[in-house]
Amino acid sequence: MLPVTAAALAVLAALLAWPVPAWLGRARWPRRDPLVALLCWQAIGLAGGLSIIGALLVHGLAPWGHSLPEAWWAWVRRHPAEEVVRGDHWVAMTLAAVLALQLLGVLALSWWRTARTRRRHRDMLELVVQPAAAPDTRLLEHPAPVAFCIPGAQPLLVLSSGMVAELDDAELAAVVAHERAHLREHHHLLLLPFVAWEAALPVLPAAGRAHAAVRELVEMRADDVALEVVDGPDPRRTLAQAIVAAVGGAGGAEVPRGALAVTGGAVRARVVRLLEPPAPLPPAGRAAALVCAGLLLLLPTALLLLPAL
Amino acid sequence: MASLGELERTVMDRLWQAEGPVSAATLRDELADRGLALTTVHTVLTRLEQKGFVVHDDARPRRFSPRASREEHAAELMHEVLGQAGDRQAVLARFVGGVDEDEARLLRELLAGG
Repeated sequence: MLPVTAAALAVLAALLAWPVPAWLGRARWPRRDPLVALLCWQAIGLAGGLSIIGALLVHGLAPWGHSLPEAWWAWVRRHPAEEVVRGDHWVAMTLAAVLALQLLGVLALSWWRTARTRRRHRDMLELVVQPAAAPDTRLLEHPAPVAFCIPGAQPLLVLSSGMVAELDDAELAAVVAHERAHLREHHHLLLLPFVAWEAALPVLPAAGRAHAAVRELVEMRADDVALEVVDGPDPRRTLAQAIVAAVGGAGGAEVPRGALAVTGGAVRARVVRLLEPPAPLPPAGRAAALVCAGLLLLLPTALLLLPAL
Repeated sequence: MASLGELERTVMDRLWQAEGPVSAATLRDELADRGLALTTVHTVLTRLEQKGFVVHDDARPRRFSPRASREEHAAELMHEVLGQAGDRQAVLARFVGGVDEDEARLLRELLAGG
């Protein structure tokens, strides 16, 4: 009765390909708890990939057995199928292989390209810039107010001279704390699957939407972590001031045209959230969201591994 | 013993200060206080060439010069970080992305009103 499993996985895949990401992308609660929302997005991405490929694989291998592991093993051992193998079984299997290879290939490719770019950036920084007081921080001579970090085994945190000129000490400390939060929590790894999804399935609008949402949540999460270490009477205001100063700095004219107007809405959401903090998610809400994320992962896994009813 | 990275930086600084192309032997003499062997200088120059920071001419012995000025490298890096051309993922953790003029004004008003 594998067709029931395949159908269930296909329904799950369809839900995860459109309505679920659309709902989570529109929901208001993620900005109340970015970390929990990030975990939910990871579950959606993983479960989505698992159920699409799983549905195709289960349908394709249905003639060989009653559960995916059993059918897979029979197929690998070249056992004769128990039922008639039709053309659509082969098509489904081929599609599953193509999709899996494409997803993994894009993931590997973007990992490799990113690592290469980061290495070049790091080489450049090591040579062009004298080490600052802190061993992992570099000051780059440039009028545009910019701060960024380069993740990796030896992470680097880079501030432009324009950023330092634009901000006071407390604001600068907030920026540094924000970037350190990215590095410490490995936010680049949380983004990687969504970069791969978007590149592998450009026709799927949900992929781009999910990528943008995760990007925004990662920034909000880093803001939250930064607030814990910023001193002063009003850390939220300090960080908001730093964001607005960085956005409208004197070096703004230097920013290439292509980079403009891309992140406007996301920046505004961050500033609004800092100035008028939404109530944190109640513990019950957090727990419910985490349970949902866990079930989302468990469901396709169980469908794939357990024998069909 | 200085690290290779620090040696690379020292050599680059020398090349940037120099008026024109410099030979490895000259570099060794200029860095005499470090007591470097000529092979070490060559190793460092080869690494810098592989990374694309140094080019050499066809004179014998070969003479080395920086591919671009310090400022040009800084500008190149900044352009990649700010622009969309570069790998988005590599520079994911930019503090704030660019916004247009209207949005920037709106944000300032938001801050003033808050």
